[in-house]
Amino acid sequence: MKPLRATFAIVAVLFLVVLAVSPLKDYLREWKKYQTGYNSLVAGLPQRVKPVDIGIRQVWVQKLDRVDRCVTCHLGVKEPALHAALEPYRTHPRIYHDVDDLGCTFCHEGQGAATEYRESVGNVKYWDRPILPRAYLEASCAKCHRENDVPGAPVLNLGRKLIRESNCAGCHRLEAYQKQWIPALDGIGEKVNRTWLVAWLKHPKAYAPSTKMPDFLLSDEEAGTLADFLLSFRTFPREAVLDPLPAALTSPGDAQKAKLVELGATKFREARCISCHPINGKGGYVAPELGKIASKVGEQWLYNYVKQPKRLQPGVLMPRYRFSPEELAGVVAYMESEFVDYDMEKPAPHTPDPGFYEKGRALFKKYSCGGCHGLPGMARAEETGPDLSAIGAKKLYEIDFGRSGIEQTLPSYLKTKLLTPHVFGESMKMPQFGFREDEAEAIAVALLGNTGDRIPPDLIVPATPQSAFAPQGEFGKLVDDLACLGCHVMNGRGRLVATDLSLEAGQARRTWIEGYFKIPYSLRPVLTERMPNLFLSDGEIKTLVDYMETSFIADTLEHAVPSDPTAAAIGRGLYYERYGCQSCHQIGAKGGYVGPPLDKLAVRLTPGWIFHWLKNPQGLKPGTIEPNNNLSDAEADALAAFLLSLK
Amino acid sequence: MTRTRVIALLVPLLLAGCTAKRNPASLSAADSTRGGDSAAIVLQAAPVGHILTYEERQGSVLYAKYCAVCHGKEGKGDGFNAFNLDPRPRDFSDSAYMVALSDGQIIQTITGGGRSVNKSPLMPSYGWTIDRSQIQYVAAYVRTFVYGN
Repeated sequence: MKPLRATFAIVAVLFLVVLAVSPLKDYLREWKKYQTGYNSLVAGLPQRVKPVDIGIRQVWVQKLDRVDRCVTCHLGVKEPALHAALEPYRTHPRIYHDVDDLGCTFCHEGQGAATEYRESVGNVKYWDRPILPRAYLEASCAKCHRENDVPGAPVLNLGRKLIRESNCAGCHRLEAYQKQWIPALDGIGEKVNRTWLVAWLKHPKAYAPSTKMPDFLLSDEEAGTLADFLLSFRTFPREAVLDPLPAALTSPGDAQKAKLVELGATKFREARCISCHPINGKGGYVAPELGKIASKVGEQWLYNYVKQPKRLQPGVLMPRYRFSPEELAGVVAYMESEFVDYDMEKPAPHTPDPGFYEKGRALFKKYSCGGCHGLPGMARAEETGPDLSAIGAKKLYEIDFGRSGIEQTLPSYLKTKLLTPHVFGESMKMPQFGFREDEAEAIAVALLGNTGDRIPPDLIVPATPQSAFAPQGEFGKLVDDLACLGCHVMNGRGRLVATDLSLEAGQARRTWIEGYFKIPYSLRPVLTERMPNLFLSDGEIKTLVDYMETSFIADTLEHAVPSDPTAAAIGRGLYYERYGCQSCHQIGAKGGYVGPPLDKLAVRLTPGWIFHWLKNPQGLKPGTIEPNNNLSDAEADALAAFLLSLK
Repeated sequence: MTRTRVIALLVPLLLAGCTAKRNPASLSAADSTRGGDSAAIVLQAAPVGHILTYEERQGSVLYAKYCAVCHGKEGKGDGFNAFNLDPRPRDFSDSAYMVALSDGQIIQTITGGGRSVNKSPLMPSYGWTIDRSQIQYVAAYVRTFVYGN
């Protein structure tokens, strides 16, 4: 009897214990501790914050098919009084989206349904989308904001700019990025010498630190063969033939040559070549380096190129300067004498190895040079690299980390791949771009946004449609010849390096625009880019300004500003005493130099523009830093009257 | 008798097994942040080498665009245009001054300009140029200069 009773007792106790485990386990849940912690935190606050009932909380976003229980512990997300509390209770930063609208994991990733810290972060088995590290968070903006820049996401915007500039879409499939224009290699055999080309192929940044051309880490042999292959292409597009050099350049006397170089130096300065071209790293950034150009290209090619850039490279954004034949010879003579690389060895005669053409062609294909550069007889390579249109959803087990020894996450893989592609294996074909660490991170952010997720169509932000503006007639020909759209925007077309010209004639007076073409000057002393002097003829200037006067105007800009001295006196008071305009603008050499000087403003601007600019600067030039002072019409009138009275 | 001892041993072991899964996350840090003076809390929570929060990073971009020309990239009141101004722009790295300044005062100065707080009218108003949350971002970023970022 006794052993039976004892067994019964033991079983009964065990049974009780097992029964107790379940409620105990529930009582000791991790999140309950956070919830009681929250309640004791808010009880001690001077503001009244409602404590929470203990229990699982969640956000259900039906349209995204997501249930996020993050708010079980992140209890202060919508409570502004907790903006200085530590996590997990801190208020969510003010953004333009609402947590009830999008939930949490749509932006942050991670496992929304989990109720334990470790699992919700998502660094667990069978969960492929762990939480995005802070540095990569802007990636999620790209899920809906697919093409336009996102205000408030500077890292994503930088990454997209770099992807466009580096022409990643040349080799990879990347939706929303178009291939960039990069010079075709037609006629390269007539352009550069072999010594330069071999050195360039081996290490492009040694010649031009600002170049976008990546380093393919070629061996000496590969670079030599590829150079021989490329140099065999000696014909220009549309059967253009190089003009012979003028006599002034082929056989000048010493005295004549010195004079020519001097004239060229003056014209080179006046044309402001360095507005776009860097010289030994200093100057503009939109065009190639010129510091050692004479050791790169032949004199005859240079002469022909400066004479008519688009004849040798259709599509290039270099303006055709209106040099006289003598000035043209002078500029070429100056560049030939000034921009020489004295360290480069003298080009020696070289006989290519037999079979160089086939070998070179194979290398051209292997490294996918055709992804960026066109070459006659070679089809433009299409997407030879991996498809990146859903890289943000790549699963960890699909990635070969090789012997890189890095942290095994997708963001760190992308960043390392961009910085040093070859750590993942010697045979990687991806070249080294020489990105800085923050640039690589930004590109990784832009790539991680390509998740390939299905997004409800009403959430997707449509891209701004591309402007179809294409100026016609004489004006159109000039705009093309002078490459105006390389720096200016007209009705939505072009690149915004300089100003938007869409309302130019409504803004500036005719006489001022004409004078500006003759002697372009910088309105603001602190600007780096400068309008080049294109040496236009009076007839060409008339054509340009006539077109502007009919097209680049707006009726809404018309406004009559009172011209009586009382208004101007009130305006003077507003200028100096109330709005402190002198902190940024100069009048009579007194004041700041953030904005342009305002002396003789009546000569430059139309009264209507001044009035409307004062009323709403961002309405006329989006993004300008001139503050909108919310002026009344009377104030704007008085201020405009004062500005127009300045002599 | 030995069996009861075994049971007596088993029960706490089972209990220990249930509790071992708990994450010993400290709540004490969060508890210590209660109180009203937000400036003091921020100072406490953010030591040297402060990592910018989301709002501060947003503010840094706006600051670089609108403010740095006069107040300087480092907030020292030494932007390139500062030397044309009398009085000189405020030095945001002056911690004694910044601690005494409330968030509301900073936001008012940005929104309404220097004239709205009886200071120099050379500081323009941005209340109609950038929106309210952007002004709050800038105000948050302006506070970070005291850490010498």
